[in-house]
Amino acid sequence: MADDSPASHRRDPIKSSVGNVAAQRRRQNAVTVGKERRESLVRAKRLCRVGPSADGDVPVEGNDMITDEEEFLLEAQTSSAVEDLKSTVAYQGKGAMQKRVNALRELRRLLSKSEFPPIEAALKAGAIPLLVQCLSFGSQDEQLLEAAWCLTNIAAGKPEETKALLPALPLLIAHLGEKSSLPVAEQCAWALGNVAGEGEELRNVLLSQGALPPLARMMLPNKGSTVRTAAWALSNLIKGPDPKAATELIRVDGVLDAILRHLRKSDEELATEVAWVVVYLSALSNFATGVLVKTDVLHLLVERLATSNSLQLLIPVLRSLGNLVAGDSHTTSTILVPGLEITDGVIKVLVKCLKSEHRVLKKEASWVLSNIAAGSVEHKQLIYSSEAVPLLLHLLSTAPFDIRKEVAYVLGNLCVAPTGGDGKPNLIQEHLVSLVQRGCLSGFIDLVRSADVEAARLGLQFMELVLRGMPSGEGPKLVEREDGIDAMERYQFHENEDLRNMANGLVDKYFGEDYGVDE
Amino acid sequence: MEWNPETLQFLSQCFLHTLSPQPEPRRAAESSLSEAADRPNYGLAVLRLLAEPSVDEQIRQAAAVNFKNHLRTRWAPSNEPNAGPAFSPILQPEKDQIKTLIVSLMLSSSPRIQSQLSEALAVIGKHDFPKSWPTLLPELISNLQKAAQSADYASINGILGTANSIFKKFRYQYKTNDLLLDLKYCLDNFAAPLLEIFLKTASLIDSTVASAGDGSPVTLRPLFESQRLCCRIFYSLNFQELPEFFEDHMREWMGEFKKYLTVSYPSLDSSANELALVDELRAAVCENISLYMEKNEEEFQGYLNDFASAVWSLLTNVSQSSSRDKLAVTAMKFLTTVSTSVHHTLFANEGVIPQICQSIVIPNVRLRDEDEELFEMNYVEFIRRDMEGSDLDTRRRIACELLKGIATHYKKQVTDIVSIQIQNLLSSFATNPSANWKNKDCAIYLVVSLATKKAGGTNVSTDLVDVQTFFTSVIVPELQSQDVNGFPMLKAGALKFFTMFRGQIQKPVAFQLFSDLVRYLGSESNVVHSYAASCIEKLLLVKEEGGKARYTSADITPCLPVLMNNLFNALKFPESEENQYVMKCIMRVLGIADISSDIAGPCIGGLTSILNEVCKNPKNPIFNHYLFESVASLIRRACERDASLISAFEASLFPSLQTILANDVTEFLPYAFQLLAQLVELNRPPISPSYMQIFVLLLSPDSWRRSSNVPALVRLLQAFLQKAPHELNQEGRLNQVLGIFNMLISSPSTDEQGFYVLNTVIENLEFGVISSYMSNIWNVLFMRLQNRRTVKFQKSLVIFMSLFLVKHGATNLVDTMNAVQANIFLVILEQFWIPNLKLIAGAIELKLTAVASTRLICESPVLLDAAAARHWGKMLDSIVTLLSRPEQDRVDEEPEMPDIAENVGYTATFVKLYNAGKKEDDPLTDIKDPKHFLVASLAKVSALTPGRFPQIINENLEPANQAALLQLCSTYNCTIV
Repeated sequence: MADDSPASHRRDPIKSSVGNVAAQRRRQNAVTVGKERRESLVRAKRLCRVGPSADGDVPVEGNDMITDEEEFLLEAQTSSAVEDLKSTVAYQGKGAMQKRVNALRELRRLLSKSEFPPIEAALKAGAIPLLVQCLSFGSQDEQLLEAAWCLTNIAAGKPEETKALLPALPLLIAHLGEKSSLPVAEQCAWALGNVAGEGEELRNVLLSQGALPPLARMMLPNKGSTVRTAAWALSNLIKGPDPKAATELIRVDGVLDAILRHLRKSDEELATEVAWVVVYLSALSNFATGVLVKTDVLHLLVERLATSNSLQLLIPVLRSLGNLVAGDSHTTSTILVPGLEITDGVIKVLVKCLKSEHRVLKKEASWVLSNIAAGSVEHKQLIYSSEAVPLLLHLLSTAPFDIRKEVAYVLGNLCVAPTGGDGKPNLIQEHLVSLVQRGCLSGFIDLVRSADVEAARLGLQFMELVLRGMPSGEGPKLVEREDGIDAMERYQFHENEDLRNMANGLVDKYFGEDYGVDE
Repeated sequence: MEWNPETLQFLSQCFLHTLSPQPEPRRAAESSLSEAADRPNYGLAVLRLLAEPSVDEQIRQAAAVNFKNHLRTRWAPSNEPNAGPAFSPILQPEKDQIKTLIVSLMLSSSPRIQSQLSEALAVIGKHDFPKSWPTLLPELISNLQKAAQSADYASINGILGTANSIFKKFRYQYKTNDLLLDLKYCLDNFAAPLLEIFLKTASLIDSTVASAGDGSPVTLRPLFESQRLCCRIFYSLNFQELPEFFEDHMREWMGEFKKYLTVSYPSLDSSANELALVDELRAAVCENISLYMEKNEEEFQGYLNDFASAVWSLLTNVSQSSSRDKLAVTAMKFLTTVSTSVHHTLFANEGVIPQICQSIVIPNVRLRDEDEELFEMNYVEFIRRDMEGSDLDTRRRIACELLKGIATHYKKQVTDIVSIQIQNLLSSFATNPSANWKNKDCAIYLVVSLATKKAGGTNVSTDLVDVQTFFTSVIVPELQSQDVNGFPMLKAGALKFFTMFRGQIQKPVAFQLFSDLVRYLGSESNVVHSYAASCIEKLLLVKEEGGKARYTSADITPCLPVLMNNLFNALKFPESEENQYVMKCIMRVLGIADISSDIAGPCIGGLTSILNEVCKNPKNPIFNHYLFESVASLIRRACERDASLISAFEASLFPSLQTILANDVTEFLPYAFQLLAQLVELNRPPISPSYMQIFVLLLSPDSWRRSSNVPALVRLLQAFLQKAPHELNQEGRLNQVLGIFNMLISSPSTDEQGFYVLNTVIENLEFGVISSYMSNIWNVLFMRLQNRRTVKFQKSLVIFMSLFLVKHGATNLVDTMNAVQANIFLVILEQFWIPNLKLIAGAIELKLTAVASTRLICESPVLLDAAAARHWGKMLDSIVTLLSRPEQDRVDEEPEMPDIAENVGYTATFVKLYNAGKKEDDPLTDIKDPKHFLVASLAKVSALTPGRFPQIINENLEPANQAALLQLCSTYNCTIV
């Protein structure tokens, strides 16, 4: 367990001394309260409007906007469709099978008709127990498929609607097995993916009911759509914050090979889903990270970054790369060795992302660079002499806040050498002097002025480097000139004790009132 | 404590008496309460009392305050040993009951009790929420929804107020997974109900305002308060990052926000009180949109233009009004944030910047009646804001911040426009100086505030004006004005300018104005004579390139008598009796000027009479500190010139010092002991009997109990031991001194002081005098080594042994130690001396221990014995480490022991007097270079037995140290054979 929980505090240790720039690798926080940026591109829950196996029998209504009357009509139709289903389920006579399938198909059609399916009406009419019954063992594939499809779209609804699927989960999981036909299994995976996308609580239910192994095995074959759906469902399922599921997944026989194979060969759409799996594996599980970095996954990620222009793909690939760098020192110490081709490749693709017009790519590329810059002196030199530095300097003075903060981590890390034990980090004066000469100090001082406490800390730490490390005592003058004293004085009474001590300590030490008076 | 009628009666009585104006019953009640507070369930009983409707409201209020404080000290008592007295913690079952009761009780209480309970709840929340108090949030939410249904705004605001205090931690803590988990929990539960109540209240306000005539302040007041609280909670919940829920509902929030910034509420506008309520809500809105602007500008972008113009027009109105500071400040901060963001182009349009300057900045920088009032009524606060940076939230300062913000992208435009504005202001002043003096003040303020701060916090540079020209044409005429009392605010501005730009004013120019500064010490305005004093004081600190002082004693000698006279007179103005700026100036002048006896006499007279006055009731610690520094400085510098003055000083000061000692003026004792030490050191033996009386006081263990005294007492004892070693050996005094050593050494927080005492004894007394005490001393030290062995103690021990060795010889050292226990010396050497030697820091300490260790291996028969070869080698290894490696490579920074100063309660702390400081004594003045001493001694001793030592060295020294030793040998041209 000890080696498998995400290092929640893998950030730099908080010390009251200021001589400690974040020369540590930083993982993204495993917990997030913000919108997952992924969602705007690929939603955590997905409505299934066209059958996964694309039978061709589903008419897709083109227009998503429906009027109030249409909505009302749709709800009425749904209620009566559920009623029909109820009677067909009760009916045992001749042609019962076909009647049931027809009733299911009608309900599914109604639930797929618009972007805002009449889920509430279906639930109110009592759809769930009927659908569960339709999933019973020995039922025909067509019936299973339709029932799972209905459930898929119900699960795509609001939280409490998703939760309504609880009674159906054991059967949905059971139909993932090898004995099921692929379309049925895939539809069930989709429904479960929606459930897993709802949140931690339902994820835990699914995991305890054994959803993970059969989903994982669905990734093994080369059938595109099945793998895609399974990968998406898995990425929802292993989101954590508990790392256990991620570890369990990478331990399933064949999964690692399948991930690598799909990343190497598949189309961009499938690669995107698989990359999201890698994102969560590497974000949460130290074990999975350790396993992954010993493969050629880094090569594959770099290759994808170099060749693709799809934002959807680039984001998870870039984040995976970053997690692998942040999560395991093996990555920087033995794979991304300066001088090797792969290392140059990584820097090159990161520069490409820094140049991109997409904010997310710029931000995440800076984050990855900051973690590489936390490596050895050689790593720092490599970045320092690369094309990245002018781009970073430009971003530090012009980019929006969140990017500037990441960029500051890179530049800050370039200026301190790693320390063996717990001593203070040593300066790399050459880098510090040159970066300061190229005007980066004002960017850091701006961070000190920001409301964000971490950015402020970073700014103060860099200021400390400048004050201590610029040759011939030039530091205090430079800080003065950029109005840094004023920026520090704002922390005189700040509630964050650490920041307050840092800022006051620096002012006292370098700008004490009687500075220079005493003999 | 059981809940029964007796308890109720007892507590009610106590709380009633705590309100008594009579001290006796009040103290008695307070002490029974603090006794009762140690019993289990006391807190619960007080809480129950609060719920008793039969108890008088006044008593319950007192009880509520007591309950809150009880929780503060005992809910989670600090574990730190130095955090003051330890309180017994509240036990878990009692805590659980309190948590069950408090929310409903708070909501049903009267407003005053409610606010106390809300704070008490926040105290619990700080430790227990959310993980150990899972029921709190659901309870608050269900009560909120209940109260919302009945539009019970007393309860709603109580709940929102509580939520606001427990969520505040999200505003300043670092983003960790734990914090985010807590935040996520709060968001998952509270984000939706918050929006719900916010929108509900919003529509209530709208409908109340719309139904004409019904928009009465009484109805609207709680609604606006409620909205303000919602906004503050919004701020906390959004601080770390933009939560999903808020992003999804941004439109709803922003819609209402905009409404509050743009709609005016006529029924509330009429009274300042009511308007303030709306303004507080608007200010809270401004803080929220500033936060979004700074951190989520991408998501916020769509709303930016609307908000920017809303805030702008709001500011144009608010700028005219004088009582709307908070709103003006937060609104300007929002524009500042926009101006430095990626959307700064909003300011790029033609005419925008001039208009901001004209209609927002200048009106806010201009002096207002409030400023004039503050200038006259509360000069301390005025100076703090005007000169010392406590103006972070004043309109003047924030208006300048806005200009600076815009200047980050539009420097040239801002500089040009402001320069023109300054010229306009000055020429308007010129047309009618007495009517338009505020324009000049405004111009000076702009120049000073827009300049960049430099070291010292007060030295600046600017590119708005040419400093020299501005100084000559604008500032000098003010300073040379013959009326020191006319237009005092303008004078203050001019003095401030001089102080700020002091580094850039050429010496001849400044020098000419010196007599004017001295003259302004006589201004009736407290601010003006304070600024004059401050300006002189800072000028005396100006350094030329290369560090030499620009102004020397020769520069001030001519006007010294007038200067001192005016300074002492300034302290006679009403409210300037304890003016710290004036006293600091006195200290500075005394530290620089040539002090002849003509000057010294009046100065010591003036200072002692002030000292006698403040002894009666020490109030301003900063003033008092500068006062004692002044005295110390005067003694030091006057006696340096003329040692005969000492008796005059003694005559003046002794009565004051005796008063301090006799009346036990706690705050001043550390100062008094330091001054006495200074006086003793300046004395020539034999020491006068009056000092010997004090010596008796010094030897009483009582004096040492207060830890704030200890460093000063040690210093005084050292002075006595050095000046009067013979007196020490009389009347059993040495025994008493060693008793003090014994007491100090027993605790890790004072052991350093203990060593100072011991070292002083060892250094100043002959071996014959101390030999009979040595067994006892070693016993005490070894005992401490056995019980609590800190690194600091071990290092101090090594230093002590070294000092003993160089003073009294290696043989005496070894013999006195081994007398305690056979062969203990080698054990101590191996276990403590050798490993700790390389940790020694400080030049004098390093030399002392290196030389002592060298002498030990080169002179002591014990070490030169063949059986001790390994010890010899390891010792040398350690010496070479000590001498060859830089300090930071040898010495691990150990966690600092708590400072003496942190140990004391609330009363006195030890503050070192710089001017009474003593020069570090070097016990080994004849040895300059310990490295040379080492290799020379080694060369000498090895010559006696050639071939023996190279082998030991080879076997025992680290390779790096062998190399370093070789290097040393070749440097000093010595050889070890």
